[in-house]
Amino acid sequence: MKKLKIKPQKLFNVAITYLIILAVCFVFLFPILWLVLASFSKTGSIYSFEGFFPAELSLDSFKRLFTDTALYNYPRWFLNTLFIALMSSLIGTSLTILTAYVMSRFRFKTRKAMMKMTLILGMFPSFMTMTAVYLMMTQFNLINQQWGLILIYSAGAPMGYLTQKGFFDTIPSSIDEAARIDGASNFKIFVRITLPLAAPMIVYTLLSSFVWPWSDFILPQLLLKNKDLYTVAVGLMSLDDTEFSRFAAGSVFIAVPIVVFYFALSKFLISGLSAGAVKQ
Amino acid sequence: MANLSLKHIYKVYPNGTKAVNDFNMQIDDKEFIVFVGPSGCGKSTMLRMIAGLEEITAGELRIGDVVVNDMEPKDRDIAMVFQNYALYPHMNIYENIAFGLRMRKIPDVKRNKQGGPVLDRAGKPVKVMRRYTKEELDEKVLGAAGVLGITEYLKKKPKEMSGGQRQRVALGRAIVREPKVMLLDEPLSNLDAKLRTQMRSEIVKLHDRLQTTFIYVTHDQVEAMTMGTRIVVMKDGYIQQVDTPKNVYQNPSNKFVAGFIGTPQMNFFEGTLCRTGERVEMRFKGSECPVTASCDILGKAIPRYLDGKTPVWIGLRADDITIGAAGEKERGATIRVKISHTEELGTETLVYGDIDLTRDTFGESPTQVIMKAAGFENFRSGDVVDAVLRLENVHLFDFQTEESILPRIPKYNYLSCTVQEGRLTAAGIELTLPDAMQCPDGAYELLLPTDAVTLGGETEAEVLSSETADGKPLARLNVGGSSLFALIDARAGEKVRLSFDLKRIALRQNGEEVVSPMPLMNSVVGTFALDRVKARPQEGKRGKVNAYSFVIGGQKYRAPMDVAQKMFAALSGRKAFTAQFRYEFTSYDLKISEHGLPAEVEKVLDYGTETFVKCKVCGSDFYVPVTGDVPRSICLEPDFEKIGVTETEREIKIV
Repeated sequence: MKKLKIKPQKLFNVAITYLIILAVCFVFLFPILWLVLASFSKTGSIYSFEGFFPAELSLDSFKRLFTDTALYNYPRWFLNTLFIALMSSLIGTSLTILTAYVMSRFRFKTRKAMMKMTLILGMFPSFMTMTAVYLMMTQFNLINQQWGLILIYSAGAPMGYLTQKGFFDTIPSSIDEAARIDGASNFKIFVRITLPLAAPMIVYTLLSSFVWPWSDFILPQLLLKNKDLYTVAVGLMSLDDTEFSRFAAGSVFIAVPIVVFYFALSKFLISGLSAGAVKQ
Repeated sequence: MANLSLKHIYKVYPNGTKAVNDFNMQIDDKEFIVFVGPSGCGKSTMLRMIAGLEEITAGELRIGDVVVNDMEPKDRDIAMVFQNYALYPHMNIYENIAFGLRMRKIPDVKRNKQGGPVLDRAGKPVKVMRRYTKEELDEKVLGAAGVLGITEYLKKKPKEMSGGQRQRVALGRAIVREPKVMLLDEPLSNLDAKLRTQMRSEIVKLHDRLQTTFIYVTHDQVEAMTMGTRIVVMKDGYIQQVDTPKNVYQNPSNKFVAGFIGTPQMNFFEGTLCRTGERVEMRFKGSECPVTASCDILGKAIPRYLDGKTPVWIGLRADDITIGAAGEKERGATIRVKISHTEELGTETLVYGDIDLTRDTFGESPTQVIMKAAGFENFRSGDVVDAVLRLENVHLFDFQTEESILPRIPKYNYLSCTVQEGRLTAAGIELTLPDAMQCPDGAYELLLPTDAVTLGGETEAEVLSSETADGKPLARLNVGGSSLFALIDARAGEKVRLSFDLKRIALRQNGEEVVSPMPLMNSVVGTFALDRVKARPQEGKRGKVNAYSFVIGGQKYRAPMDVAQKMFAALSGRKAFTAQFRYEFTSYDLKISEHGLPAEVEKVLDYGTETFVKCKVCGSDFYVPVTGDVPRSICLEPDFEKIGVTETEREIKIV
């Protein structure tokens, strides 16, 4: 058998590369690992950890999370968050896709100005408008209402339409023109030609517009006063200091829907669906 | 199955770029028209305007008898094939072809459950619009697929097919709807050379089979020559020439067309022409040897180019230059050429050389010449050979304007004449000059427009030859020994009598016009306005209505509605009220009346049979036919239905 020869220089390079990757992985993964371990802590309090990690592990905190709902109704918060995030994601995606399609395909007078304006407005952090949003929501009587949150999230979503517009720009306009000559109206072109071609982009938009309401803290904290309406983020923050393992378990568990959502939709995320339409 | 009429079509982009300029054309049913030109010449824009994908800035486009300017593409009953196929990638081939049918509804009668027609109270079947049934779709799609040989691919997706197959699908999608007009936008540009040749003949066959109007856009002159029944050569948004492939090749109207059509490109030499008796001598710049030819080749040439001084472009195709000894016929038509290099094409050899023997360049030079020789003949670079020019196929162009000076229909007949005591004498022609054309005695050059010669009159002539050029009959006449061209229908050998439209004649002396022809088009600059006026009873409306008027010299004249609408369309609404227009009227559309445009009479022009007055209208000269005496101040009433309107800033002819 031939002996595998590796040059020392190459070996060194590989070793250095792996070391860097390991270091980066450690930085990224250690907090997650710690949180997962903390969620399995038996005692529940952060003060009872021996050193850095919990001394004893058990599934207790997860059990309590779903069973002990008298004071902290985690399942309720979870469903609240899911409802808000799903609705915002659906409405937000429709709005984003429509905005992007209009900006990509239609030419009208204020198009450039609107594009620039939305781009700049989208750059401002959402909490900057907190006071204004709060006042408006009181006026509309939407404080303590989940639809108030959904409204804000959905309306804010199209600000980030640029990625979607970029995608629509890559669908050749001659396909639209061919469909127009074939007798399709603008709406039919959108539904029958553009949307099927934009499936990967729609999935991406659904996912990305799901994540913001799912993990947002500031707006729900601001608008939801009733404990039964809390989202997970707000609810977890309201936990008592001694309930640390419950906090950790709740934090770990909210990652589940995102993972499920991602795997369910990932098969649509394949690119190259438009291959063969036109000759480039 | 429809004819198209394109009148004064313009495309001007908001930044002022003119993509298409005054495009005028009539396309007959079942024609195969090819728009050809270099990139950026406006050919695709024109096609997209016909398709309805691009708005028409000004002009009128009719498909059949319907003006379709503002019609949606789907209502125009056209189909289009795109350069990049533009198939729907997520649908299979069947769905791609069927899509156009699925989008449409067809008229039918309402049917009851048994399949019988439902009758209304009057006993007539109730009409409804319905979608195609599955069976109908199958039949049509399979029919189209059968014609194009793609039946076996119907289940496949576009990405699984090759370029040629995809283009067939695109053709199938177009023909399945049986459109009135098929539009093809460079459909073969993305195919390789072999496939392109194959598809070329397939498209021609398809045209024969479908018997519908085809409009085909290409930048490839070979496609244009081989496919079209007529070719439209375009450059910079202007039509250069519209004619059959044969005529475009044999009688290019300018240097651009001559150079664009035909491979290898036509050779152009700067030179001069000198006529001495029955021979004409051509001198080429850079070459020592002049060639001579019989004057016959210059049949319709304009005389002022034959003085031996005026530079012209002399064009000869490579086929018309052969290497070898001159025969009896071509005596005197030999030129010496220094060979630079050759290109073997198998059946023939392209020989590149230079008529300037001192030059030694491989690059382009103004004296370069490309010749054709038999295949695999040996030439050494640097050799000097005799090249025989077939001068009967020569093309001559003006040096500045690059227009042909051998037009198919000469615009003018140039004759020398003398005027004595009011009588004009040219070879065989004697005319009494009317008052309006009086000029001092002397020798003049007579410019007689070809279309100002008509049958029936005093002057006798013999028809030497007759032909049809650009759809018009053209006769060459012998009038008292000099030849004359006229747009009259007569057979060779026939004796005819001619009369001349005197107001169109010009007399020149030493290059200066002594007697000018009367302009038949009168124009005046004005604006456009909107008023609210009381409705006229015939308008069938109450109260006030919008009235549009032409404003000429501060006075308003009610504009016909269709003209106003065209002006609005061309200037995108409100701008119509700030822009300036040139309003044009032919002399015969102007009447002297009691109200109308005020005019000051300057001169009465008596042409014998007709009398005109020259008058000033807002600073512009107008010529109006009159009978009897006229006062100094008159009013002209134009026929506004026949008005010509041009926007002056962008020079757009709107009506």
